[in-house]
Amino acid sequence: MVNLSRLALAVGLVAAALPAAAEEVPMLRVFTYDSFATEWGPGPALKAGFEEDCDCIVEFTTADDAISTLRRVQLEGETTEADLVVGLDTAIAGEARATGLFAPHGLELDHLDLPYPWTDPLFVPFDYGYFAYVYNTEELPDPPASFEELIALPDDFKIVIQDPRSSTPGLGHVLWIEAAYGDRSSEIWEGLAPHVLTVTRGWSEAYNLFLSGEADMVLSYTTSPAYHAIAEDDDRYAAASFEEGHVAQIEVAGILASSDKQALARDFLAYLTSVEAQKIIPTTNWMYPVIDLEDELPAAFAELPKPETVLSIDEEAITANSRDWAAAALAALR
Amino acid sequence: MLVLDRVTFAYPGQSVPYDFSLQAEPGEVTAVTGASGSGKSTLLDLIAGFLLPSAGSIRLGDTDLLPLPPEARPVSVLFQSETLFDHLSAAHNVALGLPSRLPRRKAAEQVRQALAEVGLPELGEQPAATLSGGQKQRVALARTLLRARPVLLLDEPFSALDDETRGTTRNLVKSLTEQQNWVTLLVSHHSEDVAAMARRRYHNTENRLLLS
Amino acid sequence: MPPSANLNLPSRPLRLLGGAGIAIGIAAVVALVFWSIIVAAADEPVSARSPVDIPHLLRMTSIQAGLTTILSIAVGIALAWALNRLRFPGRSLVVGLFAAAIVTPGLVVAFGLLSVWGRAGWASQLAILLTGEPLGVSIFGLGGILAAHVILDGALAARILLARLDAIPAARLKTGQSLELSPWQRFRIIDWPAISGTIPGLAALIFLLAFTSFPIVLLLGGGPANQTLEVAIYAAVRLDFDLYGAVLLALVQVTVCAAIVLAASALTPVPPSLGPSQGQKWGDRGAAHLLQWSVLLLALAAFALPLLSVLINGFGEALWSVVARQSFWQATGTSLLLATLSAALALVLALGVAQARAATARPLLRTGIGAPSYAYLAVPSVVLALGFFLLVRSFGINPAHAAPFVVVLANALLALPFAVATLAPPFDAISHSRGRLIRSLGISGRRQFLSVEWPLVAPEAGVVVALSFCFSLGDLGVISLFGTQDFTTLPLLMVRSLGSYRTNDAAAIAALMLVLTLLAFVLLPRLFSRFADARP
Repeated sequence: MVNLSRLALAVGLVAAALPAAAEEVPMLRVFTYDSFATEWGPGPALKAGFEEDCDCIVEFTTADDAISTLRRVQLEGETTEADLVVGLDTAIAGEARATGLFAPHGLELDHLDLPYPWTDPLFVPFDYGYFAYVYNTEELPDPPASFEELIALPDDFKIVIQDPRSSTPGLGHVLWIEAAYGDRSSEIWEGLAPHVLTVTRGWSEAYNLFLSGEADMVLSYTTSPAYHAIAEDDDRYAAASFEEGHVAQIEVAGILASSDKQALARDFLAYLTSVEAQKIIPTTNWMYPVIDLEDELPAAFAELPKPETVLSIDEEAITANSRDWAAAALAALR
Repeated sequence: MLVLDRVTFAYPGQSVPYDFSLQAEPGEVTAVTGASGSGKSTLLDLIAGFLLPSAGSIRLGDTDLLPLPPEARPVSVLFQSETLFDHLSAAHNVALGLPSRLPRRKAAEQVRQALAEVGLPELGEQPAATLSGGQKQRVALARTLLRARPVLLLDEPFSALDDETRGTTRNLVKSLTEQQNWVTLLVSHHSEDVAAMARRRYHNTENRLLLS
Repeated sequence: MPPSANLNLPSRPLRLLGGAGIAIGIAAVVALVFWSIIVAAADEPVSARSPVDIPHLLRMTSIQAGLTTILSIAVGIALAWALNRLRFPGRSLVVGLFAAAIVTPGLVVAFGLLSVWGRAGWASQLAILLTGEPLGVSIFGLGGILAAHVILDGALAARILLARLDAIPAARLKTGQSLELSPWQRFRIIDWPAISGTIPGLAALIFLLAFTSFPIVLLLGGGPANQTLEVAIYAAVRLDFDLYGAVLLALVQVTVCAAIVLAASALTPVPPSLGPSQGQKWGDRGAAHLLQWSVLLLALAAFALPLLSVLINGFGEALWSVVARQSFWQATGTSLLLATLSAALALVLALGVAQARAATARPLLRTGIGAPSYAYLAVPSVVLALGFFLLVRSFGINPAHAAPFVVVLANALLALPFAVATLAPPFDAISHSRGRLIRSLGISGRRQFLSVEWPLVAPEAGVVVALSFCFSLGDLGVISLFGTQDFTTLPLLMVRSLGSYRTNDAAAIAALMLVLTLLAFVLLPRLFSRFADARP
């Protein structure tokens, strides 16, 4: 009997000690999209870098892309265990803001180097890129320089794009044409229709179609060629610069109001915009860093042409109209 | 003695119901003849319990068979076809006549004996699908031997057999009936089979059985 | 004994109870899934309704699914016919290859198809070599969707129909041979009756697969003109966050699918013959023989080339970097464990359903027990994922912890329609043709299973396990909302590689998954055939 109760006591102590030990080191739970947290993404290095000083553990919970991340936060509402969401972007920031689930970050962000000055009190940018068509310079020495040139090409010139309802670049493409052409957008979409090989669910299917030679151009980012140059030592790929200008996608992070670790979450966001963390971004997320890294920016990035004109649409207009714009674009393709 | 007394049955839409009365003694083969479609198989189904009569009685000695479900009736059936599981071996099929609780070695021994009894000592491991018609019927007989039920119902059992096999199988059934003291009921339209085996014969005509 | 009891079938109340339990359980899970989404929808402000033209979608989807079904059945019959007649070394490998097509992840097949028939594909390169001109056909659009579907579903049809043809009793063939039936007469008189009963159920299955097809339609569809309800539901959940709309669309889809399942099960008679028969040695000669070889070679070219291209693309340099990574082995381990568990669960559920269906002759009861098995085909996977996610949370469980269980359950449900379609016919055949024998021998339910049914269905059970195993191996399904970094499966790793520009890694993982799938399909049925010799 004595032995048994001692055993029970011992088991009880161990059981009690385990969560206590885990509780001592706070856990920072980060919602993000899948490719951010994979072994090739920035996640592991950022986690290691932040954990060095924070005396905490960073845990990533993933959804398959940025939109899913927001949906999960919306579904969980105030009951969510997450402290932070990393990986929303400017196209869905308005919707995320409207949920009322995010808290102000309270950070000074004057040091950032972005396509336009940053004043958002809720969301902190951590990388950006411009939507653009990527092509193979050997196959296509003379790429179109505008949507109108693209439309004028013979019908067997094919592009792959993504569905605006399921993909971030897909939605970005719609915004790009809207920003460049406004009321003439549907005309552009109708002109594009014969060139559209297919509309994929996500970026990766489209990009893979392009790489396997099925299309002449793919909707991606101006930074995509940097991947091939750095990771594959392959300089053949380039992004076509369009005269109309390009729309930027700025990826942002935000603190959830329901989190009881506001200070820690703020520290993470401060870290995310630090030189140390930003050095990780270019060669893991293959996007531009949000601060000027000067010599530390890989050469392949520094050599990328930046668009002369940066187009943008304000957030309220996006939130109010993006569904209709997407529906109109799809209708034109049908 | 198996006694059927005014066993009445009609399929839906049948105007004149069957009305079967019959007596069959243990140790002998009783035959029922009649044209195809005259209801001979219906008679066996009633005795085996696959059909329930609307009136009348079926008794074996003192036992009333009617309340019993097919599996509880003291009856073995040798179906015309589909009498074996084709995907199992001959021995496996025979063993289904034994209680499943029996130790494996003891069961194997009994199966071997039964197969020897029906003249197929070598065929145990052969898949039933590869057996000839006569062999199948004899394997089924071996199973019947092990089941040891007092009533054996035969539904045109020899119709698919050649003359030679037919003769030996006929003799086997007859001698087993005498040896095991079975009440064996043979349904057949083949007068030669009936003549060779049966002591007592009924003829089915106009949905009634007449002793002939 | 109640007068209504069927005296020609053994009375098996436990089997009926078990089957009814499974059917009700599945129906309850589906109902809970919908309910939890509706509850969640009530908490959300009504956002913009997704503008969906349901009749248009239904029409387009039905045309696509109808064509897929007709073509797949036709291809399946021709291929099963050829395979049934021809004997050659490596035949079982070829059969395994065709069987594996259905479980190969849709994306892998689509990309395989592209590397053969695409603009830069093998066929086009061959055409340039021969004529100097690239091949002028486009694989995108309705044609591409149909081609990819027919590869997947035609192979499935061939595998199932081949099993029926291989089950034709040798005696019937001998009769035919002695009557000197011509190959055409032989097909009409002997083969057709053996397979015709299977066709309604098979057609329903293929129709549902095509009706709810997702990645293939999106990739090869060529644009929003070719879309399915499933895609619209995905959009409603994802872009519009219109949960009510998603539930509504999902209910439309479930209704259509249920109607098809019910119609098919009403049309499906009990199969006439038992399992694989021995001693089929009657090959056709002359023109028919030539035709059979042509069908087989054509099918091999159409079916195997895309898969072969997956292997060739995958076995490059990237393979070594992939297998050198710990994450690959972790994902492989997780995938194999999940696949084993869900295969076991699928087998148990399918056996339960098949036994119960065979234990009764009442059509309504048979349908009631069988129909819920098709749930996963009818309920869109994004709805299932969302519903499971909400359900798990409403029970207060951390989704990350529940993920493995949900994935096992979902994958088992995914394989269940195929498992039931494979296992139900032999059980039905036994109780239909030998029900009276079993009753008159007084065989108990347990003995009936161990001693009579298991030896017959064991090889088929092997196919079911292989099927479920591979489905689970290749499925992304419900995992997306549950994901944590610690819980990675092979398909997830493949998609992640694709999403990180690592196309070559993805190709290597796809190839390795295909190899695993083929291995499972060749080995598992053999393994199970060994178990077939149960004691009497």
